[in-house]
Amino acid sequence: MLKFLIRISSFMSKELTEILRQPKLILTLVFGPFLIMFLFGLGYPDQNRTLRTTFVVEDPNSVQGDLKLFTGSIPAIANQDVENNKELALAKLALNQTDLVILIPKDPFGTVQNNQQAKFTVYHNEVDPFQIAYINSVARIYTDEVNRRILQNVTEQGQANAGSVQGDLENAIAKTQALKQAVPSGDSSMAAEVNDLEKDLTNVHEQLTTFRSLGSDVLVNPFTVDTTPLSNIQFTPTDFFAPAVIVLLLQHLSITFASLSIVRERRSGIMELFRVAPITALETLIGKFLSYLSFEILLAGVITVLAVWLLKVPMFGLWANYAIAVVILLFTSLGVGFLISLISETDTQAVQYSMLLLLASIFFSGFFLDLRLMWQPIKVLAWSLPATYGIRMLQDVMLRGTSIPPLIVEGLALIGIGLFLLNWILLRRKMEAQYS
Amino acid sequence: MSCIATSPIDCKEGNDIVTVRVLKNTLLGKVNKLTPSSTVELFLNSLRQDKMNLTKNKNLSGDIVDAHELTKMFGEEAAVNSLTMKVPRGTIFGFIGPSGCGKTTTVRLLTGIHKPTSGEVTVLGKHPIEFSKSDREKIGYLIQNFVLYPELTVWENLNFAASFYGVGLLSRHGRLNKLLEFVELTEDKRKLAGALSGGMKRRLSLAATLVHNPELLFLDEPTAGIDPLLRRKFWDYFKDLQAQGHSLFITTQYVGEAAYCDLVGVMYEGKLLMVESPEGLRRKAYGGDIVGIKTTEWIRYENRKKLEDLPFVNGKIKVINDQEIEIFVDEANTAMPALMEATKAQRINVEKIEQVSPPFDDVFVKLIEKETANA
Repeated sequence: MLKFLIRISSFMSKELTEILRQPKLILTLVFGPFLIMFLFGLGYPDQNRTLRTTFVVEDPNSVQGDLKLFTGSIPAIANQDVENNKELALAKLALNQTDLVILIPKDPFGTVQNNQQAKFTVYHNEVDPFQIAYINSVARIYTDEVNRRILQNVTEQGQANAGSVQGDLENAIAKTQALKQAVPSGDSSMAAEVNDLEKDLTNVHEQLTTFRSLGSDVLVNPFTVDTTPLSNIQFTPTDFFAPAVIVLLLQHLSITFASLSIVRERRSGIMELFRVAPITALETLIGKFLSYLSFEILLAGVITVLAVWLLKVPMFGLWANYAIAVVILLFTSLGVGFLISLISETDTQAVQYSMLLLLASIFFSGFFLDLRLMWQPIKVLAWSLPATYGIRMLQDVMLRGTSIPPLIVEGLALIGIGLFLLNWILLRRKMEAQYS
Repeated sequence: MSCIATSPIDCKEGNDIVTVRVLKNTLLGKVNKLTPSSTVELFLNSLRQDKMNLTKNKNLSGDIVDAHELTKMFGEEAAVNSLTMKVPRGTIFGFIGPSGCGKTTTVRLLTGIHKPTSGEVTVLGKHPIEFSKSDREKIGYLIQNFVLYPELTVWENLNFAASFYGVGLLSRHGRLNKLLEFVELTEDKRKLAGALSGGMKRRLSLAATLVHNPELLFLDEPTAGIDPLLRRKFWDYFKDLQAQGHSLFITTQYVGEAAYCDLVGVMYEGKLLMVESPEGLRRKAYGGDIVGIKTTEWIRYENRKKLEDLPFVNGKIKVINDQEIEIFVDEANTAMPALMEATKAQRINVEKIEQVSPPFDDVFVKLIEKETANA
């Protein structure tokens, strides 16, 4: 047992010494992610993009008159210019001198009065699907706003008209009351009809009173919405992305360290020495796991402290849950790295595999695309990446303040254990005597 | 053992010669050492305990390596072809042959890295494939190339090697210091291995091979690519290790290094041509011993003919110059007195008569020529 521990310690000490011998690497590993998150926070303040918009109308002067553009209440649209030449506006768009061109339909009021919808045409020059979706959303908001404003005007006019109708109604009610007095006392059916007429007129008058008493904006938009997160905190982009960045970084570091570890030894030829020496694959693997794990736990600790205390990334959950999530994430990521190391023939190949995994993790782990949007079969790939589990766990712990879902933590741990066993078998094969 | 030896040619049979040489080394210590140094002395003294440990639990006699018809095929090609040999315990066994002749494959077969295609082999009494951890602790293996970690210092590399061989923490510090003294790297122990010269790297590798005080050392071309002075020093180390009771199996393509070995296996194109003592190799190459005669005057043709006709002289006399000849004889020790008599009878004034040892390069070439001619 003592020799087992001594042999394990050989790799622990060796790997740690090799890492600690590179202070620049350590500094980069600690401050690199912190700097990235800091710059990310600076670079993406909590604001939506404002689109420089050029309106194209047949008669620009009419904008000041009957036709209003209603852009003041939509922060996403900045009224940059009003043109009457569509081609000129589109040329500006092509030159990136404007972000949007909105074509105001010809004679919109006439079109509506002809019982047809007047259509805005919005031009943009985006290729990013997310920006296109944003522009579609802004265009919808703009149209809704225009419709709302027009309806509001119509409503206000209706309320004003209702005032004069009410005067007429009051006269009619007065006349009805006079008529009621004039009905002969014996004519009961006539009296009943006059009574009904008076009631109806009074009822319409009351309804008009109610109609006139309501604000036009309430009548046009009787419902509004107020979304509130459960934690009652509005997260900034940095807050949201910080846990995912920590996860991606830790996964990538683990995979890179581990993937280069064994492949280098195989390339250097020292593996031949290990085959002859009394050290086993299990001792080698445990030693390497422990060395990288201990170093990366320390690294994760420093990065987390910097993120939480300096960048003010929220931490609502329990630190114990956070620690469990990080340790299991690192363990499984190391397993992935060692697997790469064992199947790669060269350093370059190992680096390429690591980069591919990083790329896959960015796209499939829910880093910036919601996993719920993903096609079901591809989710299998997503859930085979440690980062997917890691991001979910850290977001739950840090941003939601909940405990880690057992299925997630057990799933990741199971993958880690499976990888450890697979690596053990592969390393044993490479170290054992019976190779050709 | 049937005779007390004073020189390698006193006994005829290979194993006897080896046994005698081992005895001589043990008894005479460093008498035959080529370049003794105080650090080596220190090392030898300090490792006295190690030697006792090494020798107390084992049978000093017998063969530490025993291979019979050992063959390793890679596809259709035989890297090692029907190799049969025995390596007596406590010897320096040199394994000589040109590059690519199968030396490293043989070492890999003996260390359990390769599984033989056919044949039998035991090392330390076991098939290498079945080595247990404790068996492996008795083996030291020096790989041809430098495989240690350039980012670690000399000390850290040795510490790493000591750890994976399971050397205890308490004894490790002293042990490593002794080894550093032995390979003369004490002053460089804080240097990064990557910053060492080629020779220093080889010395570090040797020290790493010795950290666990192995009983049997497999050294694969330990002197390859290093300068002649350092090569000489390495062979001093090997002799010292032998004196400590280690058995050494050393491959080399420097044929001249055969002279330092107790037994030499000559490998050529996957075949072990022979296992002999260094002198035995010379005798095999030239069909006996060579006696050189230098005279004070010109040796005439008739005189040479008369010497050639002597019954113990084999073949023609080789003329070096007018006053020097080389004569091939069965046995130099018995032939030299008779040659003295014969020259005296012919009134040849002999200035010097001695046994000639041709360089091993020539011996090797001669042996290969003979082998290819026979084939």
